[in-house]
Amino acid sequence: MLSNDKKTYSDIKIIEVLDQRRGKIISNTGGWFPGNGVFSHGYSMLDELVGKKTYFQTLILNATGKMVERPFADWVEAIYGCLSWPDPRIWCNQIGALAGTARTSVVTATAIGCMATDSRTYGVYPLVEGVEFIQQAYAKHQSGMSPLDVVNEVVATNKGKPYIVGYKRPIAKGDERLETMEAVARNLGFDEGPHLQLAYEIERVLLDQFDEGMNINGYMSAFLSDQGFSSQEVYQMFAMLVASGVTACYLDTYKQPADSFLPLRCDDVDYQGVPRRAVPD
Amino acid sequence: MTQEHKHEPVRSRNEPFVARTATRIWHEEPSTDNPYIAASAQCHGYDLFELMEKRSFVDVFYLLFRGELPSHAESNLLQQLMIALINPGPRHPAVRAAMNVGVGKTDPLHILPIASAVLGGTYLGGGELETSMRFFRKHQKTQPEILIRDYLEQRDKNTLEKSAGKINEPGEVYFAGFGARNGGVELMAVELASRLAKLDGAGAALQWGCKLNEQLDEHGQGWLMTGVAAAVFADLGFQPRAGGCLFQLLGAPGLVAQGLELANKPITAMPFVSDENYVIER
Repeated sequence: MLSNDKKTYSDIKIIEVLDQRRGKIISNTGGWFPGNGVFSHGYSMLDELVGKKTYFQTLILNATGKMVERPFADWVEAIYGCLSWPDPRIWCNQIGALAGTARTSVVTATAIGCMATDSRTYGVYPLVEGVEFIQQAYAKHQSGMSPLDVVNEVVATNKGKPYIVGYKRPIAKGDERLETMEAVARNLGFDEGPHLQLAYEIERVLLDQFDEGMNINGYMSAFLSDQGFSSQEVYQMFAMLVASGVTACYLDTYKQPADSFLPLRCDDVDYQGVPRRAVPD
Repeated sequence: MTQEHKHEPVRSRNEPFVARTATRIWHEEPSTDNPYIAASAQCHGYDLFELMEKRSFVDVFYLLFRGELPSHAESNLLQQLMIALINPGPRHPAVRAAMNVGVGKTDPLHILPIASAVLGGTYLGGGELETSMRFFRKHQKTQPEILIRDYLEQRDKNTLEKSAGKINEPGEVYFAGFGARNGGVELMAVELASRLAKLDGAGAALQWGCKLNEQLDEHGQGWLMTGVAAAVFADLGFQPRAGGCLFQLLGAPGLVAQGLELANKPITAMPFVSDENYVIER
């Protein structure tokens, strides 16, 4: 047994701070006080938000602490529609489809599909890098670098490859969502801000030199930078971005016979390991 | 107003996707009359039933991730760590999440995925492991005193105006896998490392980590549980990227047990903070 008199070299001030917090919640956000209301970031939710602001205005408030105007919330809602497709070949959606074939609950399927978008290559997490890239590129552009200089700098540090989050895209070249979202933005009355203008100039360089264009991440990152959001705020705003498509993929397989989604024979898995061997005692 | 832009037409890249997923871990041999039903399964070449007869769970766990069976010393080291990490304890955020699943009458099948996700965090969780394993790989040949001196010099150089002369900022972590929790050194982690370091299977990371730990006392820092796990995984040859997942796996039994314990209790079986103790500060 470990003796209790061993020294922990503790900082007494930290123990005092922890003691002050025992049994207490100190929230910087909001809460529910039965009989008095529910509050979020200074708003009374039932008096000022529900029925008066859209769900996406409230979602953005909870994700960033900022109450945005209706057109911006509508733009975010439209983007959600661009990134939540019922196609089970996309990895997060396939997780939903496999959950359906394994008969989990719809909540499980949808939640784990959203977790899958914490990916280094697709989904929500790359937005952090996308926003950081365009904001840093804009700062460099402001201090005199041309879009070509910006691209060349990236290419030089990536062995000649144009690895820029927000450009290029797995599976397909080009991105059909750009024109749709540009039309949405026009209809909602948005101007093209300086980050987005630079993003298009970078796209022109990449198309000329590498035959690679902007993807929806690049468009979102630049647009949202023009709206004043940080990379973390963007990441927070889109935590459940793919939820709806995952639900759809889950239901598709849930309603079909078990075992019938992409069935695999034993030899449909390519075993490349060591041959059979005896277990040593 | 947003301009109209011409974009390139969308076309498939026709990437060379494989026809079959490959694995070096597991081989299922089909039955003669139904290719979808396996008649036998081998883990890295060893028949599963033969493993059951001849080897321990810990041996097969090691085999699954490393591709070879462990020596007795390696198996013993891993088993001792597995026992030590079997329950993160009722105050760990992951276990408290499990308890909320239980007392909230959520489907008990959700205890493990929910709580193990919390055990994947970068504080007190699997998210600390990869960095810590890489830290051991990089520094375990450096003298601990020199490492600490260099760190403090660099820190003071970076923050000269703000914190010159201050030894230990609250919550500051000098090295991944070491630090203070709740204001002090984690005694259980220090004791665990000390015990594991005496085993035959202990390697360079664990031994060196104990030396570093001795030097950190005066700074109010020491081994963290995640650091001890990282050192053992490094000594056993696991890849740094696997470390966090292994940490989640080893803590899983405790998460489930603690969640299940509350699953049949009323919602009053856990504290619910009163309105008086709920403060909104904006």
